[in-house]
Amino acid sequence: MSVAELKERHIAATATVNALRERLKQKRTLLLDTDGSSSCYSHFAGYARSQGRTPVSFGPTDLVCCRILQGHTGKVYSLDWTPEKNRIVSASQDGRLIVWNALTSQKTHAIKLPCAWVMTCAFSPNGQSVACGGLDSVCSIFNLNSPVDKDGNLPVSRMLSGHKGYVSSCQYVPDEDTHLITSSGDQTCVLWDVTTGQRLSVFGGEFPSGHTADVLSVSINGSNSKMFVSGSCDATARLWDTRIASRAVRTFHGHEGDVNTVKFFPDGQRFGTGSGDGTCRLFDMRTGHQLQVYHQQHAAADGEVPHVTSIAFSISGRLLFAAYSNNDCYVWDTLVAKVVLNLRSLQNSHEGRITCLGLSADGSALCTGSWDKNLKIWAFGGDRREI
Amino acid sequence: MQALDSETASTIDLQAPAVPTADTRGKHRILAELKRLEQETRFLEEELEELEKTDKVSAACEELLTNIETRPDPLLPVTNGPTNPSWDRWFEGPQDSKGCRCWIL
Repeated sequence: MSVAELKERHIAATATVNALRERLKQKRTLLLDTDGSSSCYSHFAGYARSQGRTPVSFGPTDLVCCRILQGHTGKVYSLDWTPEKNRIVSASQDGRLIVWNALTSQKTHAIKLPCAWVMTCAFSPNGQSVACGGLDSVCSIFNLNSPVDKDGNLPVSRMLSGHKGYVSSCQYVPDEDTHLITSSGDQTCVLWDVTTGQRLSVFGGEFPSGHTADVLSVSINGSNSKMFVSGSCDATARLWDTRIASRAVRTFHGHEGDVNTVKFFPDGQRFGTGSGDGTCRLFDMRTGHQLQVYHQQHAAADGEVPHVTSIAFSISGRLLFAAYSNNDCYVWDTLVAKVVLNLRSLQNSHEGRITCLGLSADGSALCTGSWDKNLKIWAFGGDRREI
Repeated sequence: MQALDSETASTIDLQAPAVPTADTRGKHRILAELKRLEQETRFLEEELEELEKTDKVSAACEELLTNIETRPDPLLPVTNGPTNPSWDRWFEGPQDSKGCRCWIL
């Protein structure tokens, strides 16, 4: 077959795929029975409002910055809490990981990295190791209990090599200190055995249903650790089953820009995404439905739409924290799709873009990391009413 | 897709017999991409079939609302119980001097 004929077939096949996608989109719209009068972006919010739900009301001093973690000498790019209590690991442009006790503000470890261009870090489930990755295309593991070397540096205990592009995100599999998942600029995600350094599974790559551009973020389901979701520059999020590397379980379309961040919802049945198109979205894992779009105009000086850098859900899922490239950090009420607070407007707010967000294991504190080199801890200091 | 189009265009430009290697490479790329598209067509058709049996969105919404409202949340002004005194540990005890001191007494 000639190249010209192949090109014809390619055009026809592309048309078929686009037509099928359109049919799927229309079919999904037909399944939106929640509120006939609402726009197609208000499904869950329309339903919640029809059930009489009103927005969360925060007083001006309810959410309070109660710790400032200072020590990095460069922009903070990533943070992760331990699964129990109060410790945080952070990664910075200064080429270091710092391990903090967030309650006392003390630094317990400052790890100089072999490659300064770090993009992501993660705590192991038992809190004894940290992982990081970045432009070196390697995920490095440090055991926090190891003796330091003659230069006073913590040695790398394992290097996970194999990616052919930068490591954008990493997360340990909950309750499994030996397994970790990474996402990469090489368009794949990988499940690793940390003890042997082996790649157990590669998600995407030569297989057809993988991402078609850099993968920027992963999130593992806290309720079912065999499932994880990835977000990519191809504007999709994909759901994977770690037992089936050959194809994604489902691909989620909707965003009109890079999917910079993905996070599973606390109930393990939904997940959120944040994108370069300036919106956050909530998807249903099992049915594939897009349940809600969270979008609000920002005051943009240059007319550019600020993109979403990072998201996190409060422990019930009622609040969605979303950080944007214009230094805003909106607190969304996920039920009614309204912004109920902007952390930027609070006392002691960051002086630069927030790049990473994370909730403590018990949901009592939010940690934010910023280009201003600091991490801040936020907690509820108002009058709490229990129902 | 865009990357491939530009690759395809350049392959056609190189379609002179003097450069047969480029032509073969271009063919392989288009064939691989075709296979990918055919695979995706099958996945999309499967998904359409699955959608026939899928619940309407309101079922997912109902479940989601319940899941959100029954779980105690330390960051909400009004929350389902039980609350936990350790949620307020951030406002107790000696603070680091650089810490923010504006907690409610």
